[in-house]
Amino acid sequence: MRKRRVRAKTVIFSIIGLIVAIIWVFPVYWMINSSLLPNVVLQDSTPTFVPFGGSFANFTAVFAGGTFLPALGMSVAIAAVVVVLCLLFAFLAALAISRFRFRGRSGFVLAVLLIQMLPAEGLFIAQYKLMASVNLLNSVIGISILYIAAVVPFTIWMLRGFVAGIPIELEEAAMVDGLSRTQAFLRITFPLLAPGLVASGVYAFLQVWNEFTIALVVLPDNASATLPLWLRGFIEASASKATDWGQVMAASTLVALPVIFFFLFVQGRMTSGLVSGAVKG
Amino acid sequence: MTAEATIQSVRIAETPPAPRLARRRRRPIAPYALIVPSVVVLALAMGYPVVWQIITSTQQFGLAQQFGQAAPFVGLQNYATLASDPYMWTVILRSILFCFAAAAATMIVGTLLALLMNVVSAWVRVTLQIALLLAWAMPVVAAMTVWNWLFNLRSGVVNWLLSAIGLPYQGHNWLINPVSFYGVALVIVVWMSVPFVAFAIYAGLTQVSEEVLEAAQIDGASPRQRFFGIVVPIIRPVISIVLLLQVIWDLRVFTQIKLLQDVGSIKSETNLLGTYIYQLGTGSSNFGMASAVSIFVLVLTIAISAFYVRSMLKEDEA
Amino acid sequence: MKRKIWAATAFAVAGALALAACSSGGSTAGTASTGPSTNGKGKTITLWLVGADTPQPLRTYLQTEFTKETKGTLKIEQQDWSDIVTKLTTSLPDANNTPDVTEMGNTQSPTFTNVGAFLDISDQYKALGGTNLLQSFVDAGKVNGKNYTLPYYFGSRYVFYRKDIWAKAGITTPPTTLDQFNSDVATVNSKNPNNIKNFSGFYLGGQDWRDGISWIFANGGNIAKESGGKWAASLEDPATLKGLAQLQTIYKTADNAPGDAQDSNQYIYINNNDSIAGATTKDKATPVSLSAATIMAPGWAHWSIGDKGKDAKTGAVTRTWNPNTFGTFALPGNDSNPAPVFAGGSNIGISAKSKNPGLAKTLLKIIFGKTYQEMLGKNGLGPANSQYTSSLGSDQFASALIASSSNSKLTPAAPGWASVEASGVMEEFFSKIKDAPDLTALAQQYDAKITPMLNAK
Repeated sequence: MRKRRVRAKTVIFSIIGLIVAIIWVFPVYWMINSSLLPNVVLQDSTPTFVPFGGSFANFTAVFAGGTFLPALGMSVAIAAVVVVLCLLFAFLAALAISRFRFRGRSGFVLAVLLIQMLPAEGLFIAQYKLMASVNLLNSVIGISILYIAAVVPFTIWMLRGFVAGIPIELEEAAMVDGLSRTQAFLRITFPLLAPGLVASGVYAFLQVWNEFTIALVVLPDNASATLPLWLRGFIEASASKATDWGQVMAASTLVALPVIFFFLFVQGRMTSGLVSGAVKG
Repeated sequence: MTAEATIQSVRIAETPPAPRLARRRRRPIAPYALIVPSVVVLALAMGYPVVWQIITSTQQFGLAQQFGQAAPFVGLQNYATLASDPYMWTVILRSILFCFAAAAATMIVGTLLALLMNVVSAWVRVTLQIALLLAWAMPVVAAMTVWNWLFNLRSGVVNWLLSAIGLPYQGHNWLINPVSFYGVALVIVVWMSVPFVAFAIYAGLTQVSEEVLEAAQIDGASPRQRFFGIVVPIIRPVISIVLLLQVIWDLRVFTQIKLLQDVGSIKSETNLLGTYIYQLGTGSSNFGMASAVSIFVLVLTIAISAFYVRSMLKEDEA
Repeated sequence: MKRKIWAATAFAVAGALALAACSSGGSTAGTASTGPSTNGKGKTITLWLVGADTPQPLRTYLQTEFTKETKGTLKIEQQDWSDIVTKLTTSLPDANNTPDVTEMGNTQSPTFTNVGAFLDISDQYKALGGTNLLQSFVDAGKVNGKNYTLPYYFGSRYVFYRKDIWAKAGITTPPTTLDQFNSDVATVNSKNPNNIKNFSGFYLGGQDWRDGISWIFANGGNIAKESGGKWAASLEDPATLKGLAQLQTIYKTADNAPGDAQDSNQYIYINNNDSIAGATTKDKATPVSLSAATIMAPGWAHWSIGDKGKDAKTGAVTRTWNPNTFGTFALPGNDSNPAPVFAGGSNIGISAKSKNPGLAKTLLKIIFGKTYQEMLGKNGLGPANSQYTSSLGSDQFASALIASSSNSKLTPAAPGWASVEASGVMEEFFSKIKDAPDLTALAQQYDAKITPMLNAK
């Protein structure tokens, strides 16, 4: 039962929160606003704040290209593989380093930290050769291996904190109550990890969703392009004319939207489904 | 996250920390089995490229070598060239300053937003989260285009707003002066990285039990004491890794600087490590140099963060 | 527990593999042919085209024609200008994934030709057009007298100007010499007939060396010279300095473009725009902000120049070229020829690692054939073979394109030219011309910076 003073504070904080939200979302609004305006208007010296007289012509033009959906499919496939496997691998490793002492543990922990410092400059030749040598160019699995390696260290470290915060006794108590180890894990441990999994999952998803350089190199065919490659192609679609920024912004909006669906989906699943399941258990 | 989760975490907070699992020493294979997937994927993805990079950094390796000519071994010459380039050290100094400014600003704003998310009603929090997520999800090229528009000297919203309130900013060129160039870059970099920091730290905060905080309040702990005594220790692992990542990323920030340079500014006055090493290596198809630069930056990153990484490891051992 | 984790891992990996198997496309080329066979039955060759300059009907024509001639299949892969170097670097040396034929920028051609990325096609040179082909581009694809890449199409830069503003300033005929051009734009600038704030008689970005270089070329100067296999920057040559001095005068007397403006989107400054941000009532009488009476730009800019209007059908805002307001001409030189400008355009070549060189050569035959060359011209792309230049048409854009490209130049074919471009040193040098108290000293300073880069390997 909160006191009124607390509620007044909440109102003030809420207002601050909304203001921050508006500031942060303004460039995004500007992208959407521009996507509804014709290119000619975008070159005006006075900004157009509200797209009166705007149209979905830019979006129609983007879809007319016919290459958006295949690229979306490719990106979704890669993101799904990477997010699922990355969370799984990282969770297992987090379990190992937070619940066990073993020889090589500190070496592994140090490696996890240092690997993130490896710079990617000039790596693209080696990455291409690697993928070409095992015939994994243009394949979901090839690029997914590179992506998982890029996001798994952070995820391990992130989940390590969460796993360490969960006492094993909790699970064991549940097992005494007659649950199997799997049940105990799914109902007790997993829900407590949910916030960490959501944060790491969103991180992994976005890293993959917007990655450009690796994709450019190991997905050389047009047919296997991901959304960032598709978007780049779109910007350069007509070098013989000026770039149509209205269309580019429409295309960018289409790239950004699925992320929101992913987040709402994950968020909804994590908070409602799993956590309430935990309480029932 | 929800009331149930909070209750769960109270139970955790009230349980004494588990004794380190001595009894599991009987089964020493388990932890290795658990890290195998991660180790395998890291080895597959990083092994060959890293070895290739180390070898190439000691060679004269340009486009001709990529097309099959033998690569002459030059020892540490690529490194010597780098270290003896006085401009390189200017760029390193600039980059370290920029990195610390950007990482500090990002961490402060990100932490404040995470704390804010914790105290507002659910719908405000989701609104804020979606706003941050949208910013995070915006394709970099679209984000940079929009930011370039906003700061455009002729049609930019920033100049428009400043002129509208009577300031002499009509046609003001933000990019030609290196200091204001870095200012603009800083705003953009912070805007782009705060969502990640806020999300991660907010996730950490969900482990903090509200009841424990209230109990501490009743015991007379000040908000400051509560924050540093209860909240910070719990979210420290998250903060530490997020800060490390920020430092790593901001030290070699590339895309934002490159795309700003493509619009305006004098390159040599606004180069940071990311753009300069790109220009030295990949931009000139000098892959031997590019590899040397990578190793060099790796060493630099380790040097900058060694102290910090050590404390992270110590904390991990504790 | 252990077993379960293993099972889970194995399951996940299996799932991933299955997914990959579904979506990994066939990227392997056909089986290696024993000789340069031209029978393409059951075979596919790949052509990389960069950017979208080549319109769809031309692509379709190539594909149908190729199948007709060889019974094989032509796969066209679209590439982007900003990434083409990266992709050529990784794919061309890889026999299994190389494109058989690829387009590249004309300034990128020497870099790749020198390292042996392309097949020697000297035997085809005559049949494909020989001396009728645009020679500066042919040279960009030549090493030791052998032809590796040939011109694909050319573009060029020329002058766009506001007839109405020039006329109000008292100039009704376009200049015929460079000196005249220099003084005309200064006159337009000083008269500023529409009384526009920050008006430029000639809008030349401070860092726009690709356009500014014409003043160096027109006075007989150059960026760099080769002698005895060594390259040296030649900004301090007297001829170059003469051009630099003219540029300095233009920057000071005719130009109000920002010192860091680059070669991009100049065309928006020549259009009439709407009101100025934060304008006072007094300013609103002249409803154009930072604007220009003259610009230099690649030919395609004309699609973005014109009067603002509404499309009758869709209601969309459009720009329509108005010949009463806007005009074009090739930048004049002082020798009654057009001033040399930077050539735009691209080269095309066969990968040295192509497994189907015979089929690739057949494709080149189709590309350099009359039908295709004329198709290029009709789409506003300068055909490689000068016999077909008339297909460009006879409107003012075609005439300006033909006139300006008749005297076009390429960047120095120095081994380190890529580093020069990557470093932005040319942009930096040009941005300093305006305020340089001593141009010779400035030129010497930058020669000293550029020369080592040119010879770097």
